[in-house]
Amino acid sequence: MSNEVKTKEKVDMDPKYIIKLTVTLFVTCVIVAGLLGLVNSVTEGPIAEKNKTKTAAAIQEVLPEMEGSPAVVELTDEMTAAASGAGATITEAYEAQAGGSVIGYALKIVASGSQGNIEMMVGVDAEGAVTGVSIVKNSETSGIGSKVMSNENGVLDQFIGKSAADGTLSVGKNVDAISGATVSSRGVTTGVNAALAVAGVMG
Amino acid sequence: MNLKKQFMDGLLYQNPVLVQVLGMCSTMAITTSFFNGLGMGLAVTVILTLSNIIISAIRKIVPDKIRIAMFIVVIAGFVTMVDLFLQAFVPALAESLGVFIPLIVVNCIILGRAEAFSYKNGVVASFFDGVFQGIGYTLVLLAMCIIRELLGAGTFGGGLLAGGKGIQIIPSQFPAGMLTLPVGGFLVLGCLIAAMQWALSKSKK
Repeated sequence: MSNEVKTKEKVDMDPKYIIKLTVTLFVTCVIVAGLLGLVNSVTEGPIAEKNKTKTAAAIQEVLPEMEGSPAVVELTDEMTAAASGAGATITEAYEAQAGGSVIGYALKIVASGSQGNIEMMVGVDAEGAVTGVSIVKNSETSGIGSKVMSNENGVLDQFIGKSAADGTLSVGKNVDAISGATVSSRGVTTGVNAALAVAGVMG
Repeated sequence: MNLKKQFMDGLLYQNPVLVQVLGMCSTMAITTSFFNGLGMGLAVTVILTLSNIIISAIRKIVPDKIRIAMFIVVIAGFVTMVDLFLQAFVPALAESLGVFIPLIVVNCIILGRAEAFSYKNGVVASFFDGVFQGIGYTLVLLAMCIIRELLGAGTFGGGLLAGGKGIQIIPSQFPAGMLTLPVGGFLVLGCLIAAMQWALSKSKK
Protein backbone atom coordinates (compact mmCIF):
# COMPACT_ATOMS: atom_id res chain seq x y z
CA MET A 1 0.00 0.00 0.00
CA SER A 2 2.71 2.43 1.01
CA ASN A 3 4.43 1.62 -2.26
CA GLU A 4 1.36 2.65 -4.25
CA VAL A 5 1.13 5.98 -2.49
CA LYS A 6 4.76 6.68 -3.20
CA THR A 7 4.30 5.86 -6.89
CA LYS A 8 1.37 8.24 -7.09
CA GLU A 9 3.31 11.11 -5.53
CA LYS A 10 6.20 10.69 -7.87
CA VAL A 11 3.94 10.47 -10.92
CA ASP A 12 1.99 13.53 -9.82
CA MET A 13 5.16 15.46 -9.36
CA ASP A 14 6.95 14.73 -12.56
CA PRO A 15 5.23 14.70 -15.96
CA LYS A 16 8.53 13.90 -17.64
CA TYR A 17 8.67 10.66 -15.67
CA ILE A 18 5.21 9.67 -16.91
CA ILE A 19 6.26 10.30 -20.48
CA LYS A 20 9.42 8.27 -20.01
CA LEU A 21 7.42 5.32 -18.66
CA THR A 22 4.88 5.52 -21.46
CA VAL A 23 7.46 5.77 -24.21
CA THR A 24 9.57 2.91 -22.83
CA LEU A 25 6.59 0.59 -22.58
CA PHE A 26 5.27 1.65 -25.97
CA VAL A 27 8.59 1.07 -27.71
CA THR A 28 8.94 -2.36 -26.08
CA CYS A 29 5.47 -3.34 -27.24
CA VAL A 30 6.17 -2.16 -30.78
CA ILE A 31 9.42 -4.16 -30.94
CA VAL A 32 7.79 -7.31 -29.56
CA ALA A 33 4.81 -6.93 -31.90
CA GLY A 34 7.16 -6.52 -34.85
CA LEU A 35 9.07 -9.67 -33.93
CA LEU A 36 5.82 -11.59 -33.52
CA GLY A 37 4.74 -10.47 -36.97
CA LEU A 38 8.02 -11.79 -38.33
CA VAL A 39 7.60 -15.17 -36.62
CA ASN A 40 3.99 -15.33 -37.74
CA SER A 41 4.97 -14.81 -41.38
CA VAL A 42 7.31 -17.82 -41.08
CA THR A 43 4.87 -20.13 -39.31
CA GLU A 44 1.62 -19.02 -40.99
CA GLY A 45 2.16 -21.16 -44.08
CA PRO A 46 2.98 -24.46 -42.33
CA ILE A 47 0.12 -23.97 -39.83
CA ALA A 48 -2.44 -23.28 -42.59
CA GLU A 49 -1.11 -26.26 -44.56
CA LYS A 50 -1.40 -28.54 -41.51
CA ASN A 51 -4.95 -27.37 -40.84
CA LYS A 52 -5.94 -28.03 -44.45
CA THR A 53 -4.53 -31.57 -44.45
CA LYS A 54 -6.21 -32.14 -41.13
CA THR A 55 -9.59 -31.01 -42.46
CA ALA A 56 -9.30 -33.36 -45.43
CA ALA A 57 -8.26 -36.24 -43.17
CA ALA A 58 -11.10 -35.49 -40.75
CA ILE A 59 -13.67 -35.60 -43.56
CA GLN A 60 -12.28 -38.89 -44.82
CA GLU A 61 -12.41 -40.24 -41.28
CA VAL A 62 -16.05 -39.40 -40.65
CA LEU A 63 -17.17 -40.42 -44.13
CA PRO A 64 -14.87 -43.36 -44.95
CA GLU A 65 -16.85 -44.36 -48.03
CA MET A 66 -16.26 -41.01 -49.71
CA GLU A 67 -14.64 -41.12 -53.14
CA GLY A 68 -12.63 -38.27 -54.58
CA SER A 69 -12.45 -34.95 -52.83
CA PRO A 70 -15.35 -33.38 -50.96
CA ALA A 71 -17.30 -30.46 -52.44
CA VAL A 72 -17.72 -27.32 -50.37
CA VAL A 73 -21.35 -26.48 -49.60
CA GLU A 74 -22.26 -22.82 -49.16
CA LEU A 75 -23.75 -22.17 -45.73
CA THR A 76 -27.33 -20.94 -45.83
CA ASP A 77 -29.11 -18.90 -43.17
CA GLU A 78 -31.25 -21.94 -42.43
CA MET A 79 -28.21 -24.10 -41.67
CA THR A 80 -26.64 -21.43 -39.48
CA ALA A 81 -29.90 -20.98 -37.59
CA ALA A 82 -30.31 -24.74 -37.12
CA ALA A 83 -26.81 -25.02 -35.62
CA SER A 84 -27.19 -22.05 -33.29
CA GLY A 85 -30.61 -23.37 -32.23
CA ALA A 86 -28.78 -26.45 -30.93
CA GLY A 87 -26.19 -24.33 -29.11
CA ALA A 88 -23.25 -24.52 -31.53
CA THR A 89 -21.91 -22.81 -34.64
CA ILE A 90 -21.37 -24.31 -38.08
CA THR A 91 -18.33 -22.98 -39.91
CA GLU A 92 -17.96 -25.24 -42.94
CA ALA A 93 -19.98 -27.86 -44.77
CA TYR A 94 -18.87 -30.42 -47.33
CA GLU A 95 -20.76 -32.84 -49.55
CA ALA A 96 -19.27 -36.27 -50.09
CA GLN A 97 -19.97 -38.42 -53.11
CA ALA A 98 -19.45 -42.06 -53.97
CA GLY A 99 -20.48 -43.80 -57.17
CA GLY A 100 -21.98 -40.61 -58.56
CA SER A 101 -24.48 -39.98 -55.77
CA VAL A 102 -24.36 -37.99 -52.56
CA ILE A 103 -23.62 -40.29 -49.64
CA GLY A 104 -23.55 -37.71 -46.91
CA TYR A 105 -22.29 -34.47 -45.49
CA ALA A 106 -19.32 -33.52 -43.37
CA LEU A 107 -20.13 -30.57 -41.14
CA LYS A 108 -17.55 -28.57 -39.29
CA ILE A 109 -19.08 -27.50 -36.01
CA VAL A 110 -17.70 -25.30 -33.23
CA ALA A 111 -19.08 -25.97 -29.75
CA SER A 112 -17.78 -24.76 -26.42
CA GLY A 113 -15.87 -27.19 -24.24
CA SER A 114 -14.33 -26.66 -20.84
CA GLN A 115 -11.34 -24.71 -22.19
CA GLY A 116 -12.54 -22.65 -25.10
CA ASN A 117 -13.99 -24.00 -28.30
CA ILE A 118 -13.95 -27.51 -29.69
CA GLU A 119 -13.85 -27.70 -33.47
CA MET A 120 -15.17 -30.98 -34.79
CA MET A 121 -16.06 -32.63 -38.05
CA VAL A 122 -19.30 -34.58 -37.93
CA GLY A 123 -20.26 -36.92 -40.75
CA VAL A 124 -23.96 -37.45 -41.43
CA ASP A 125 -25.13 -39.89 -44.10
CA ALA A 126 -27.96 -39.35 -46.58
CA GLU A 127 -30.42 -41.01 -44.17
CA GLY A 128 -29.54 -38.51 -41.44
CA ALA A 129 -27.54 -40.84 -39.20
CA VAL A 130 -24.14 -39.90 -37.77
CA THR A 131 -21.28 -41.72 -39.51
CA GLY A 132 -18.47 -40.42 -37.35
CA VAL A 133 -17.11 -37.61 -35.20
CA SER A 134 -13.57 -36.32 -35.47
CA ILE A 135 -12.05 -33.51 -33.45
CA VAL A 136 -10.18 -30.98 -35.56
CA LYS A 137 -9.03 -28.50 -32.95
CA ASN A 138 -9.43 -28.15 -29.20
CA SER A 139 -7.84 -26.68 -26.11
CA GLU A 140 -9.29 -29.16 -23.63
CA THR A 141 -7.31 -29.89 -20.50
CA SER A 142 -4.42 -32.18 -21.28
CA GLY A 143 -4.93 -35.61 -19.74
CA ILE A 144 -8.59 -34.95 -18.84
CA GLY A 145 -10.74 -33.42 -21.57
CA SER A 146 -8.16 -34.52 -24.10
CA LYS A 147 -9.26 -38.11 -23.43
CA VAL A 148 -12.60 -37.29 -25.03
CA MET A 149 -10.83 -35.55 -27.90
CA SER A 150 -8.62 -38.56 -28.61
CA ASN A 151 -11.61 -40.92 -28.60
CA GLU A 152 -10.46 -42.86 -25.53
CA ASN A 153 -12.70 -45.86 -24.77
CA GLY A 154 -14.54 -45.09 -28.03
CA VAL A 155 -16.30 -42.12 -26.48
CA LEU A 156 -16.64 -40.49 -29.89
CA ASP A 157 -17.71 -43.73 -31.60
CA GLN A 158 -20.87 -43.93 -29.49
CA PHE A 159 -22.40 -41.20 -31.66
CA ILE A 160 -22.19 -43.36 -34.79
CA GLY A 161 -25.64 -44.39 -35.95
CA LYS A 162 -27.46 -41.78 -33.86
CA SER A 163 -29.99 -39.74 -35.81
CA ALA A 164 -32.64 -37.11 -35.25
CA ALA A 165 -35.00 -39.99 -34.42
CA ASP A 166 -33.08 -40.56 -31.16
CA GLY A 167 -34.19 -37.12 -29.95
CA THR A 168 -31.82 -34.58 -28.49
CA LEU A 169 -28.66 -36.28 -27.29
CA SER A 170 -27.55 -35.46 -23.79
CA VAL A 171 -24.78 -36.66 -21.51
CA GLY A 172 -26.03 -39.04 -18.85
CA LYS A 173 -29.23 -39.82 -20.76
CA ASN A 174 -28.19 -41.40 -24.03
CA VAL A 175 -24.51 -40.43 -24.14
CA ASP A 176 -21.78 -41.66 -21.78
CA ALA A 177 -19.19 -39.18 -20.57
CA ILE A 178 -15.59 -39.87 -19.55
CA SER A 179 -14.99 -39.57 -15.82
CA GLY A 180 -13.72 -36.10 -15.01
CA ALA A 181 -14.41 -34.79 -18.49
CA THR A 182 -18.16 -34.20 -18.40
CA VAL A 183 -17.93 -30.68 -19.80
CA SER A 184 -15.80 -31.80 -22.74
CA SER A 185 -18.20 -34.69 -23.40
CA ARG A 186 -21.12 -32.26 -23.29
CA GLY A 187 -19.39 -29.98 -25.77
CA VAL A 188 -19.05 -32.79 -28.29
CA THR A 189 -22.65 -33.86 -27.69
CA THR A 190 -23.88 -30.32 -28.36
CA GLY A 191 -21.85 -30.33 -31.57
CA VAL A 192 -23.39 -33.61 -32.74
CA ASN A 193 -26.89 -32.31 -31.96
CA ALA A 194 -26.14 -29.21 -34.03
CA ALA A 195 -24.83 -31.34 -36.90
CA LEU A 196 -28.00 -33.43 -36.90
CA ALA A 197 -30.11 -30.26 -36.90
CA VAL A 198 -28.15 -28.83 -39.82
CA ALA A 199 -28.35 -32.11 -41.76
CA GLY A 200 -32.10 -32.00 -41.13
CA VAL A 201 -32.53 -28.67 -42.95
CA MET A 202 -30.13 -29.70 -45.73
CA GLY A 203 -32.55 -32.46 -46.63
CA MET B 1 29.07 -15.62 -10.76
CA ASN B 2 29.14 -19.05 -9.27
CA LEU B 3 28.19 -21.71 -11.79
CA LYS B 4 28.27 -24.65 -9.42
CA LYS B 5 26.05 -22.89 -6.89
CA GLN B 6 23.59 -21.86 -9.62
CA PHE B 7 23.50 -25.42 -10.89
CA MET B 8 22.84 -26.90 -7.45
CA ASP B 9 20.27 -24.17 -6.71
CA GLY B 10 18.33 -24.88 -9.88
CA LEU B 11 18.28 -28.62 -9.38
CA LEU B 12 18.07 -28.90 -5.60
CA TYR B 13 18.33 -26.09 -3.08
CA GLN B 14 16.20 -23.58 -5.01
CA ASN B 15 14.33 -26.05 -7.21
CA PRO B 16 11.52 -24.01 -8.82
CA VAL B 17 8.81 -26.60 -8.18
CA LEU B 18 9.83 -28.45 -5.03
CA VAL B 19 11.40 -25.59 -3.03
CA GLN B 20 10.12 -22.32 -4.47
CA VAL B 21 6.74 -23.99 -5.17
CA LEU B 22 6.24 -22.06 -8.42
CA GLY B 23 4.41 -23.11 -11.56
CA MET B 24 2.03 -25.44 -9.76
CA CYS B 25 -0.77 -25.25 -12.32
CA SER B 26 1.19 -26.65 -15.23
CA THR B 27 3.05 -29.08 -12.97
CA MET B 28 -0.14 -30.78 -11.91
CA ALA B 29 -2.11 -30.43 -15.11
CA ILE B 30 0.21 -31.78 -17.77
CA THR B 31 2.23 -34.44 -15.95
CA THR B 32 0.18 -37.38 -17.15
CA SER B 33 2.50 -38.70 -19.83
CA PHE B 34 6.24 -38.66 -20.41
CA PHE B 35 5.95 -36.82 -23.73
CA ASN B 36 3.89 -34.00 -22.17
CA GLY B 37 6.35 -33.54 -19.32
CA LEU B 38 9.37 -33.47 -21.59
CA GLY B 39 7.72 -31.10 -24.07
CA MET B 40 6.47 -28.73 -21.39
CA GLY B 41 9.80 -28.80 -19.56
CA LEU B 42 11.73 -27.96 -22.71
CA ALA B 43 9.27 -25.23 -23.74
CA VAL B 44 9.55 -23.59 -20.32
CA THR B 45 13.36 -23.95 -20.31
CA VAL B 46 13.66 -22.26 -23.71
CA ILE B 47 11.28 -19.43 -22.81
CA LEU B 48 12.82 -18.97 -19.37
CA THR B 49 16.35 -18.79 -20.79
CA LEU B 50 15.41 -16.36 -23.57
CA SER B 51 13.39 -14.08 -21.31
CA ASN B 52 16.15 -14.16 -18.67
CA ILE B 53 18.71 -13.06 -21.26
CA ILE B 54 16.59 -10.22 -22.62
CA ILE B 55 15.43 -8.99 -19.22
CA SER B 56 18.98 -9.03 -17.92
CA ALA B 57 20.17 -7.17 -21.03
CA ILE B 58 17.57 -4.41 -20.72
CA ARG B 59 17.55 -4.22 -16.93
CA LYS B 60 19.45 -0.94 -16.80
CA ILE B 61 17.03 0.91 -19.08
CA VAL B 62 13.83 -0.51 -17.58
CA PRO B 63 12.24 2.04 -15.22
CA ASP B 64 11.60 0.42 -11.87
CA LYS B 65 7.92 1.35 -11.76
CA ILE B 66 6.93 -0.48 -14.93
CA ARG B 67 9.32 -3.41 -14.76
CA ILE B 68 6.58 -6.01 -14.22
CA ALA B 69 4.70 -4.78 -17.28
CA MET B 70 7.91 -4.90 -19.32
CA PHE B 71 8.69 -8.42 -18.10
CA ILE B 72 5.24 -9.62 -19.09
CA VAL B 73 5.51 -8.10 -22.57
CA VAL B 74 8.89 -9.79 -23.14
CA ILE B 75 7.68 -13.14 -21.73
CA ALA B 76 4.39 -13.04 -23.66
CA GLY B 77 6.35 -12.34 -26.84
CA PHE B 78 8.56 -15.39 -26.40
CA VAL B 79 5.67 -17.62 -25.38
CA THR B 80 3.70 -16.66 -28.48
CA MET B 81 6.73 -17.34 -30.67
CA VAL B 82 7.29 -20.77 -29.14
CA ASP B 83 3.57 -21.50 -29.42
CA LEU B 84 3.55 -20.62 -33.13
CA PHE B 85 6.68 -22.69 -33.81
CA LEU B 86 5.24 -25.70 -31.99
CA GLN B 87 1.97 -25.43 -33.90
CA ALA B 88 3.83 -25.21 -37.19
CA PHE B 89 6.52 -27.83 -36.66
CA VAL B 90 5.54 -30.08 -33.71
CA PRO B 91 1.72 -30.11 -33.98
CA ALA B 92 1.36 -33.31 -31.92
CA LEU B 93 2.95 -31.66 -28.91
CA ALA B 94 1.06 -28.38 -29.43
CA GLU B 95 -2.17 -30.34 -29.44
CA SER B 96 -1.28 -32.42 -26.42
CA LEU B 97 -0.27 -29.45 -24.27
CA GLY B 98 -3.12 -27.32 -25.56
CA VAL B 99 -3.80 -24.22 -23.53
CA PHE B 100 -0.83 -24.77 -21.20
CA ILE B 101 1.62 -23.39 -23.75
CA PRO B 102 -0.04 -19.94 -23.88
CA LEU B 103 -0.43 -20.17 -20.12
CA ILE B 104 3.37 -20.22 -19.70
CA VAL B 105 3.00 -16.41 -19.90
CA VAL B 106 1.62 -16.43 -16.38
CA ASN B 107 3.82 -19.27 -15.15
CA CYS B 108 5.29 -17.87 -11.95
CA ILE B 109 8.66 -19.52 -12.58
CA ILE B 110 9.45 -17.18 -15.44
CA LEU B 111 8.22 -13.96 -13.83
CA GLY B 112 9.72 -15.11 -10.54
CA ARG B 113 13.19 -15.62 -12.01
CA ALA B 114 12.93 -12.32 -13.90
CA GLU B 115 12.19 -10.48 -10.67
CA ALA B 116 14.47 -12.47 -8.39
CA PHE B 117 17.45 -13.06 -10.61
CA SER B 118 17.82 -11.64 -14.10
CA TYR B 119 16.72 -8.12 -13.10
CA LYS B 120 19.68 -8.03 -10.72
CA ASN B 121 22.35 -10.07 -12.51
CA GLY B 122 24.38 -10.06 -15.69
CA VAL B 123 23.41 -11.63 -19.00
CA VAL B 124 25.67 -14.69 -18.75
CA ALA B 125 24.63 -15.51 -15.20
CA SER B 126 20.98 -15.03 -16.18
CA PHE B 127 21.41 -17.37 -19.13
CA PHE B 128 22.73 -20.13 -16.86
CA ASP B 129 20.04 -19.39 -14.31
CA GLY B 130 17.42 -19.94 -17.01
CA VAL B 131 19.01 -23.18 -18.17
CA PHE B 132 19.48 -24.63 -14.66
CA GLN B 133 16.10 -23.56 -13.32
CA GLY B 134 14.55 -24.93 -16.50
CA ILE B 135 16.32 -28.24 -16.05
CA GLY B 136 15.19 -28.33 -12.42
CA TYR B 137 11.60 -27.78 -13.54
CA THR B 138 11.88 -30.38 -16.30
CA LEU B 139 13.33 -33.02 -13.97
CA VAL B 140 10.49 -32.60 -11.47
CA LEU B 141 7.93 -32.75 -14.28
CA LEU B 142 9.53 -35.94 -15.58
CA ALA B 143 9.55 -37.49 -12.11
CA MET B 144 5.86 -36.64 -11.71
CA CYS B 145 5.09 -37.97 -15.19
CA ILE B 146 6.90 -41.24 -14.61
CA ILE B 147 5.24 -41.85 -11.22
CA ARG B 148 1.74 -40.84 -12.32
CA GLU B 149 1.93 -42.67 -15.61
CA LEU B 150 3.32 -45.84 -14.09
CA LEU B 151 0.91 -46.02 -11.17
CA GLY B 152 -2.05 -44.45 -12.97
CA ALA B 153 -1.92 -46.13 -16.36
CA GLY B 154 0.79 -48.77 -15.90
CA THR B 155 2.86 -47.44 -18.79
CA PHE B 156 6.23 -45.80 -19.33
CA GLY B 157 7.09 -43.25 -22.01
CA GLY B 158 3.52 -42.44 -23.06
CA GLY B 159 3.23 -40.31 -26.19
CA LEU B 160 6.76 -41.20 -27.23
CA LEU B 161 7.55 -44.92 -27.05
CA ALA B 162 5.71 -47.88 -28.57
CA GLY B 163 3.72 -45.81 -31.06
CA GLY B 164 2.52 -43.26 -28.54
CA LYS B 165 0.89 -45.71 -26.15
CA GLY B 166 3.95 -46.23 -23.99
CA ILE B 167 5.38 -49.53 -22.80
CA GLN B 168 2.92 -51.39 -20.60
CA ILE B 169 4.77 -52.33 -17.42
CA ILE B 170 1.90 -53.02 -15.04
CA PRO B 171 -0.99 -55.02 -16.57
CA SER B 172 -3.80 -52.60 -17.40
CA GLN B 173 -6.29 -53.94 -14.83
CA PHE B 174 -4.15 -52.95 -11.80
CA PRO B 175 -3.20 -49.25 -12.07
CA ALA B 176 -5.12 -46.64 -10.05
CA GLY B 177 -6.55 -44.35 -12.74
CA MET B 178 -7.12 -41.73 -10.07
CA LEU B 179 -3.43 -40.81 -10.21
CA THR B 180 -3.81 -39.42 -13.72
CA LEU B 181 -6.66 -37.18 -12.51
CA PRO B 182 -5.90 -33.80 -10.85
CA VAL B 183 -6.19 -35.32 -7.37
CA GLY B 184 -3.33 -37.65 -8.25
CA GLY B 185 -1.26 -34.62 -9.21
CA PHE B 186 -1.74 -33.13 -5.76
CA LEU B 187 -0.88 -36.42 -4.05
CA VAL B 188 2.29 -37.07 -6.04
CA LEU B 189 3.46 -33.46 -5.79
CA GLY B 190 2.84 -33.45 -2.03
CA CYS B 191 4.90 -36.60 -1.60
CA LEU B 192 7.71 -35.23 -3.75
CA ILE B 193 7.85 -31.92 -1.86
CA ALA B 194 7.86 -33.80 1.46
CA ALA B 195 10.68 -36.07 0.28
CA MET B 196 12.64 -33.04 -0.96
CA GLN B 197 12.25 -31.16 2.32
CA TRP B 198 13.28 -34.24 4.26
CA ALA B 199 16.38 -34.70 2.11
CA LEU B 200 17.30 -31.01 2.32
CA SER B 201 16.91 -30.85 6.10
CA LYS B 202 18.95 -34.01 6.42
CA SER B 203 21.77 -32.68 4.25
CA LYS B 204 21.91 -29.50 6.35
CA LYS B 205 22.66 -31.52 9.48
